[in-house]
Amino acid sequence: MGLLNPLNLLYALSLAALVAIYLRALSRPTLEVSSLMLFEEVPAPVAKSRLLRVDRFFWLEALALGALTFAVAGLYLRVHQPVGRNHRRALVFDLGAAMGATDDDGSAHPGSRLDEARGIAEKIIANAPVGDRFTVSGYALEAETIHAPGGDPHEARDALAALAPQAVAARPAALRAALMRARGADQIDLFADRPPSAAAIDDAGLAGRLNFHQVGAPAPNLAIVSLDAGVPHSTVGRCVVRNFSNRPQYCDLVIEAAGREVFHSTLIAEPRAEIVVPFGPLPAGGLVKARITSHDALAADNQRFAFAPSIAQAHALVLSRDAAVRDDLARIVLAINPNFMVTAADPLRPGSFNPSQHFDLAVIHDNAGRGVNADARLLIFPEPPLNGSKLPQLVPVTGSVTLAEMQEREGSGSLSAPVLLGPARILALPPWMEPLARGVSVGEHQSFPLAAFGYDGNVAVGVLAFDVRDHLLLDPDRMDALVTAIDLLHRLVAPRDVLIEPTGAFVTATAGAHPRLRAPDGATRVLTPDQWGRVRFRTLQAGRYLITNDGPAVAVYANYYDAGESDLSTPAGVAAATSPSAPTATAGAARLTVEPIAIPLIVLALIALLVESVMLAQRAIRWRTARV
Amino acid sequence: MLEARAFEPAFLQKLDGLVLGTRRARTQRAGQRVVGRHQGGGIEPENFREYSPGDDLRFLDWNAYARLDDLTIRTFRAERQLEITIMIDASASMAVPADDDKLGLALTLGAGLAFIGMNENDPVRLVAFAGRRAGTRIETTPFRRRRETYIDFRPFVSTLKSGGETRISDAVGELLQERRAPGMVIVISDYLVSPGDYEEALGRLLGVGHEVKALHVMGDREATGNYPPGAYRVRDSESGEFRDVVFGPAAAHACRRRAADHAERLSAFCTRRGIMYAPAFGVSHLDDIMAREFPRLGVIN
Repeated sequence: MGLLNPLNLLYALSLAALVAIYLRALSRPTLEVSSLMLFEEVPAPVAKSRLLRVDRFFWLEALALGALTFAVAGLYLRVHQPVGRNHRRALVFDLGAAMGATDDDGSAHPGSRLDEARGIAEKIIANAPVGDRFTVSGYALEAETIHAPGGDPHEARDALAALAPQAVAARPAALRAALMRARGADQIDLFADRPPSAAAIDDAGLAGRLNFHQVGAPAPNLAIVSLDAGVPHSTVGRCVVRNFSNRPQYCDLVIEAAGREVFHSTLIAEPRAEIVVPFGPLPAGGLVKARITSHDALAADNQRFAFAPSIAQAHALVLSRDAAVRDDLARIVLAINPNFMVTAADPLRPGSFNPSQHFDLAVIHDNAGRGVNADARLLIFPEPPLNGSKLPQLVPVTGSVTLAEMQEREGSGSLSAPVLLGPARILALPPWMEPLARGVSVGEHQSFPLAAFGYDGNVAVGVLAFDVRDHLLLDPDRMDALVTAIDLLHRLVAPRDVLIEPTGAFVTATAGAHPRLRAPDGATRVLTPDQWGRVRFRTLQAGRYLITNDGPAVAVYANYYDAGESDLSTPAGVAAATSPSAPTATAGAARLTVEPIAIPLIVLALIALLVESVMLAQRAIRWRTARV
Repeated sequence: MLEARAFEPAFLQKLDGLVLGTRRARTQRAGQRVVGRHQGGGIEPENFREYSPGDDLRFLDWNAYARLDDLTIRTFRAERQLEITIMIDASASMAVPADDDKLGLALTLGAGLAFIGMNENDPVRLVAFAGRRAGTRIETTPFRRRRETYIDFRPFVSTLKSGGETRISDAVGELLQERRAPGMVIVISDYLVSPGDYEEALGRLLGVGHEVKALHVMGDREATGNYPPGAYRVRDSESGEFRDVVFGPAAAHACRRRAADHAERLSAFCTRRGIMYAPAFGVSHLDDIMAREFPRLGVIN
């Protein structure tokens, strides 16, 4: 028992006011009469006159005032309350790709690991006392609350049924966020296939309240790590398959190109080893799909998509005043697609290229590239506007820095070590472009885009803000610059109606009016395009997303692979060794809680006042007068 | 104030011609006077007798002594008169309830009776009594006979204040110390004392030969118990004691019953002892009391 605010006990001075009222009551109307002998037979209560009238009314009013005083002061009780009675319980689920894995033994839990977790959670809900409130939340890339706190078990079960694994790896940050959200609960049940880190639990302050339910058993899994379609008619493609099991596994691998099976073989993968499967060269460009048809625990990593460049001869223009840059860029363009006919030209030399020629790709370095007719443009180190020039720039340049460094890049996030670049231009990206890499000027903190991509109408436009002189793109210490350039070139030469993205990435696609998105599981939803007709969504399932609209459809192929998430062979014992000691079962234990008793005190005061009112009413009726 | 009515011409005009009822013989005037046998200092000769030592030489018949040489004393027929003492209770209880104005009623009645007594040239005096810590306080006016001097009672009547306890027996005892001839004593009071007190007082007056009349004064409110309803603390105006009382219909009934019992007991005592008892309840009934009730009860004729 204690008081939240003992200062509020000063309200007990109101008892003095009550005493004063009763003293004042002594001065009730005094009537002077000739003699008391005339009132000897009056049937009135004879009260002895004294300083303070301590009658039943006084005690009732003192009780009411005392109760209200303690209520205001915040009187509370420390009670040992058993867990599970009118408690808030949080059910937190790992929704990473591994939770979709199925155990191949087929004995205990024929469904997925998420199904097993769902079953445990349903038992918890069924065995919970009436009045317990459940929150259902999940985490993978981000933490999300599936079901807000509620006492209806049916709604909680419906929320459990709505849980679905995502083809992404569960991020530790998402786990921390989910635990932080759930820390308001009295008991937290975490369902995952691997124990959380002790740091995550300590950060959320859940020691003693977390029940960890590890679901799933070690299972063999084969995953397609990567797929390189190669160049049709030129180079072979490669498919890398990894065996995460501690035993050799059979693997039926099928590779299809343009809807036709180009490779089908049964392979034996060594324990925890990768096998590189060459195929091709492909007879034609287009979509290439590799899939493992043999059964394993996780299906999300059993397929992968790639795009083979077209076999049609394409023309590319590399425009730069620097011969070394022209040479480097031409090599990179040819590396992406050997079928390119590359024209390297110096803009200062008239006639170095035919302005009327149509190019499929133009790589323009330190130049405006006016007069170039191309379907796709890659602007590298864009030229700033000339003094007095009023010609509009495709990508406006607002300034320049002498030494820039790359700090983050799409696909990798923040780089572990910034990549030191050379001079760079500061760009004012038009709204139809999206940055792919950002950096800062050395010694400053204001970041600016270093790479961007977008569609200006039907023209694909990419931009690299940094200079690539001095063989920067071929410097092995600055591979991120090369990867960024290659990624941009891939985007520039890729068809607009076929996109291949990793799962978990935000996909931006150009769609017409009224676009609808059909996910790999068949679910359909309506997308809202922006003013440039682009839609943006996140791929959380592996497979093909199809954006349909009034015009041509756009297909987005999502590839999933995560070495940590796909490794299902980690035995529980090993996992437990790294698990925190705190998450132990606490169900059924009594917990010391603080129970404010303001409401009972107020009710007590009201009852006291009510009883006094009844007594006064009875007296008024008995004496037939209102002055009682 | 009600006592002011006692000197209003209209009120006195109603009392003109009334005579106090008495069982004693009295000197009558203008055919109404009754000649008594009492020898005294009148002007009408009655007889002669031999002188004896100690007789007043003023009444020696010198002519008879000259002619007969005998000492002869002339005696005269004395006029028979009735001394009327009107005792008015001036205790604190006569002032409450304030709106009842019992003291005013008592003073008006007393003055009115005094005026009636003066109609017969009887000597009349007013006596106010009230108990004090130091003893009973008695305020007395001189005897007045002629109606012309009735106005001399006005300062006494108009300035009399109530206060103190009701001690009738003490007041009577103090009054009797004067050792005057028996006359008529009219005691006007609310008699809110113990029965023993007023019984002793009235008995002592009877014992010395006074003709006693008891006028019982009560207010309208205390006689009917018509107090405002509610919870009160009532205070005894004389003893100062308090008591919590809740007024209502039941309390009013109890008060009426208690007042009636009190009056009944006093009336029974007076009847038993040959004392004329006359209730005078309520100021509003003053005219009826004087014009109807007192003649009916024989207080006045």
